[in-house]
Amino acid sequence: MKPLLKVDDISSFIGPFHILQGVSLEVYPGEVVVILGRNGAGKTTTLRSIVGQVPPSKGAITLDGVSLVNMPTHIAVRQGIGYVPEDYGVFDLLTVEENLALAMRQRDKPTHNRHDEVLEIFPDLRIAFRRLAMTLSGGQRQMLSIARALLNENKIILIDEPSKGLAPIVIERIQKVLLSLKKKSTIVLVEQNFALACAVGDRYYIINDGRTVLNGSIDDLIDDTALQQTHLGLMPA
Amino acid sequence: MTAKRWLWASYAVALILLLVLPHAIGVMTRELIGRIFILAVFGMSYDILRGYTGIINLGHAAFFGGGTYIAGIMFTRLGTSASASLLAVALAWAFAVILALVMGQFAFRNTGAGGVLACAMITLAFGEIVRHTAETFRQFTQGADGLTFAVPVIFRDRIGMYYYALLFLVVMTLLLRQFINSPAGRVLQAIRDNEQRARFLGYDVRKYKLLALVTAALAASSAGFMFALLTRFANTDLLSVQNTLNALLFTIVGGTGTLYGAIVGTAFVQLVQSYLLELRGIHEIFARWQIFFGAIYVLVVLYMPLGMVGAFLRIKGSLAYWRTSGGNHTRAGD
Repeated sequence: MKPLLKVDDISSFIGPFHILQGVSLEVYPGEVVVILGRNGAGKTTTLRSIVGQVPPSKGAITLDGVSLVNMPTHIAVRQGIGYVPEDYGVFDLLTVEENLALAMRQRDKPTHNRHDEVLEIFPDLRIAFRRLAMTLSGGQRQMLSIARALLNENKIILIDEPSKGLAPIVIERIQKVLLSLKKKSTIVLVEQNFALACAVGDRYYIINDGRTVLNGSIDDLIDDTALQQTHLGLMPA
Repeated sequence: MTAKRWLWASYAVALILLLVLPHAIGVMTRELIGRIFILAVFGMSYDILRGYTGIINLGHAAFFGGGTYIAGIMFTRLGTSASASLLAVALAWAFAVILALVMGQFAFRNTGAGGVLACAMITLAFGEIVRHTAETFRQFTQGADGLTFAVPVIFRDRIGMYYYALLFLVVMTLLLRQFINSPAGRVLQAIRDNEQRARFLGYDVRKYKLLALVTAALAASSAGFMFALLTRFANTDLLSVQNTLNALLFTIVGGTGTLYGAIVGTAFVQLVQSYLLELRGIHEIFARWQIFFGAIYVLVVLYMPLGMVGAFLRIKGSLAYWRTSGGNHTRAGD
């Protein structure tokens, strides 16, 4: 089987800083791949490089066989990427309804059906439909951000730290949503919350100092406490 | 009566008052109100850029002054026939669209952190190029001395011109309101909120900024054309950065990102300016009306940073939120 998303040995700079120095990963259709690593390892920059916000200076990125390198962000995401950035990426001064409407790329009937499906998944958003996004809680904003990525027939969804700054009870709800998406979507998840990553992930990649250092199945990682300690700084329970 | 009906009733009363008004006031006041109607459209055109898209355009007066000058030059050179008038309108719009497209190609090139400043500087440069060109071609524009011209017969009646200006304001307000409430208008508001996030949703930010600039340029150019019909005079001050700052002032005082704020702001600025000038008879110091106006402006910015309409909408929104939430402001889900 061919990978849906292939990132091949990319290097990316932010200003003078050489952040990514050899990141490679492959994502196959229908799986959830989790990118793990310590703070500042280059996880978020990897997602930003995929969507063209931080264009790689070296290496290759292909989505379904189409090269994304040097593609402007707005064109890259139109290839079928739903991106949920770490700061939620919602428009504070627009209502929930307007935020959702903006995310709909094709205003045809199937998309409208998805609109209803998405509101079924996130009932909170239906209640807050006419409220400004700035009045939503952190959890609701995260749900709105994920909901927008689900509105279109995206080939892949990139989600950056969905649990960041949220209360445990809200993380549980996000986890349930991600588990419900697992069967239908291909997802790349950057996550610091190890429990959430293990609960939803199929495979993992560990990035350290801008390089992919390890990959494998999540089940193997759960069993290997030494590896968790060495690469993720997790203390044994 | 519901709130919406009250609103429509107040619009109807205001419209009736404005229709009756020119018969009850003097020539100078009628001229002043007509000027407010037209400058309000100039202010709204600036609000499309500053308030709805987050663009700072320091050369916006080039569109307004361009409209005035093209009307003046065409009426001077070709006469005031209907065909000359139509040609003048077409030329004013063509000038606005072409200048906006060229200006935008350069101004929206930088998408990085310094993009706003770069845009302001590049638009300032374009505005100055247009002003300098107008001053250079004195045989057409009469430079800083100004160009006086006759206007078509139907616009010569002062009361009639008041009604044309009112009609212009109503039509342009409806058109611009339609534009900002359209899907494209929502994208512009998203760009104002955060350009990068708009790109993540697949929007070509530069294309939408160009759309905003062209729309604002057409509105400003139309306002400039109407200004020509009202004042029958054009000089290079209309193309200056000071005139752009006037539009910025109208929107800041009235409330950026509200559209109607520009109408309120223009009326406030023009009326205060006129009132302060009238006070010259009481004391010489009022001849320096800018001093007082500057103080009023500072007070408005300090105590009403959202502008008059912005402050009103915020209070209204807070009251509505308070009512719907039953006074409970705790945010669930955190």
